[in-house]
Amino acid sequence: MTSLSKDPTLLSRRHFMALAGGIAGMATLSALGVPSGWAANTAKVDVDTVNRKEHTSDVLVIGGGMAGLFATVKAHDAGSKVILVSKGRLGSSGQTPFAKGIFTYDAATAPISLDAFVDKVSRSAMGTNNPVYTRQMAEHSRARVDELRQWGFFDSPLYNTCFSKPIKERNIPVLERIVITHLIKENGHIAGAAGFSMDSEKIQIFRAKSVILCTGAGGFKPNGFPICDLTHDGTIMAYTIGAKVTGKEWNDGHPGQATNAAACFDGWHGMFERKPDTVGVEVHHDLGVDLNYIAYVNGGPVAMGPPGSGNTTSKGGPLTPAEFARPPGGPPPGGGKAPGNGGPPSGKGGGPPGMAGIPVGGSSAGMSIHKSEGLVPINDRCASNIPGLYAAGDALGSYMAGAIYTQIGSSLAGSAVQGAVAGTAAADYCKAVDFQDVSTAKLDDIHQEILAPLQRKAGYSPAWVTQTLQGIMIPNFVLYIKKEKLLQAALAYVEELRDHHMPMLRAADFHELRLAHETANMIISAEMKLKASIMRKESRCSHYRLDYPEMDTTNWQAWINIYKGADGSMQFEKQPFAAWPA
Amino acid sequence: MTIKLISGCIGCGTCVASCPTDVLRLDPKTKKAIIKYPADCQICHLCRMYCPVDAITITPDKSIPVIVSWG
Repeated sequence: MTSLSKDPTLLSRRHFMALAGGIAGMATLSALGVPSGWAANTAKVDVDTVNRKEHTSDVLVIGGGMAGLFATVKAHDAGSKVILVSKGRLGSSGQTPFAKGIFTYDAATAPISLDAFVDKVSRSAMGTNNPVYTRQMAEHSRARVDELRQWGFFDSPLYNTCFSKPIKERNIPVLERIVITHLIKENGHIAGAAGFSMDSEKIQIFRAKSVILCTGAGGFKPNGFPICDLTHDGTIMAYTIGAKVTGKEWNDGHPGQATNAAACFDGWHGMFERKPDTVGVEVHHDLGVDLNYIAYVNGGPVAMGPPGSGNTTSKGGPLTPAEFARPPGGPPPGGGKAPGNGGPPSGKGGGPPGMAGIPVGGSSAGMSIHKSEGLVPINDRCASNIPGLYAAGDALGSYMAGAIYTQIGSSLAGSAVQGAVAGTAAADYCKAVDFQDVSTAKLDDIHQEILAPLQRKAGYSPAWVTQTLQGIMIPNFVLYIKKEKLLQAALAYVEELRDHHMPMLRAADFHELRLAHETANMIISAEMKLKASIMRKESRCSHYRLDYPEMDTTNWQAWINIYKGADGSMQFEKQPFAAWPA
Repeated sequence: MTIKLISGCIGCGTCVASCPTDVLRLDPKTKKAIIKYPADCQICHLCRMYCPVDAITITPDKSIPVIVSWG
């Protein structure tokens, strides 16, 4: 590294422009981390020599977080042969490593009954939750927490050892650092999945009777939240083969910090180094887009402090049910405990992101409220509309918590509970079905699709396309404080990326190949977010329309489902609250 | 810039496995960890926390412009 690259601010504009004019300039730009756009591509891999490896199991679990752990263990215990495959490492990828509070409902000590708990969540969620999944999470939470305790979960801030314990005891194969890019469907049923391994540089084919997506949710590789490995892969793969998807209009509103906005570890104030803990009943209405609205109306900086201390309030904006209202700008609930609901931050000690210093928005841009986006469940057993395909945790649009953060720590508990439910359901399904045949021709096509970015002689770099997408989607006035004109404008840009950049993404090695596939998934997710946001002409929970600021209980007691039409186009339908899909 | 320095690496590969965004790789020649794709570091510190010999130093700044929702 040159001294210039250590501190880019030392580079004068004149010097920068001079450098940028020549080949040396391009090298310097690259060293600075500024991605080039269109360029020639020379793959470091001989694509013709990339061979295929095949695996077979009854159940394939994709994802190694909390949902994947329980899906794997419970499918095995219900009699299935299981393989777990992960893009990262067991317990060390996705959001699970950073989730420190897990909700547990103990009927003997809980301050309210299970019925009262479910009702309270529904009131906070303004009807957007699915009470069947809310109840299931609470009802099963204690049993999952007890199992985690036996495996040593509460003894270390790092989860790999604990997660490995039950998997090793059962001799279940775990394949890590494999990027799954395709789900395979035959005769209307799930037949397996395919992807590539970053280390052995092989195509990996998985034949399975059932697949459980535990792939988490995702975002636009935003700055401030540790979700840069989550790009809605599972959701988009499933959408591509005909699964219904929901929840794209909602937004997680966790703020980041203005200083070193990309440093999520620092922004979370040591929480990542803390051992996990349990959380009891504490229902709120938190972390929607209230701060985004204040910043939009008043400008920054948005103060976080005692009432009256600064730029904390504004007339209008997202509606909070009176029962859950807090003094504007007041301290976080629970006597200074982190209000991070369920998702990453919660529990004792250490504040949530943005609670120290000046907060900025967009730290989790591209992500909905936990459990409110993903595959549409057709029943209470985490099944999708494709026979054999299940999802659990943040990959399932269960609306367990609703479209706003309600019960603290319920996201992690919900992933454990739903993983177990999906694992058992998938194992039951496998008992009654045979493997689907997959033709070699189909596998050859998938093989080519996976490697296509490596074969392009020139193209757009995934990093540049991602940065362009971030510039379109992340501004407060597009993603959070929504209105028709800007949503349509952003959609025009995103459709351009979809039609003219996605097919021209390049990759020189398997790291870039992963980025290329992730970038494509983010573009489709952005299209879903914009179109669902345009369709929902009301404001509720974490979806706020400046041009439709009121809740519309006449037309919008409904979720939005998204699916691929017969002609390949993106289709939308309303699904009434508290109903399963037809 | 993000993950900055690896000093005293014993080549166990734990950081490579633990990085969610594939920033680190083992150098095929030296068998030690190298920062191969620094632009993709999300500054989550998992590599540092998992490193058995505390070989990894991380700084909170990012060398590329960071996009936020409001400034």
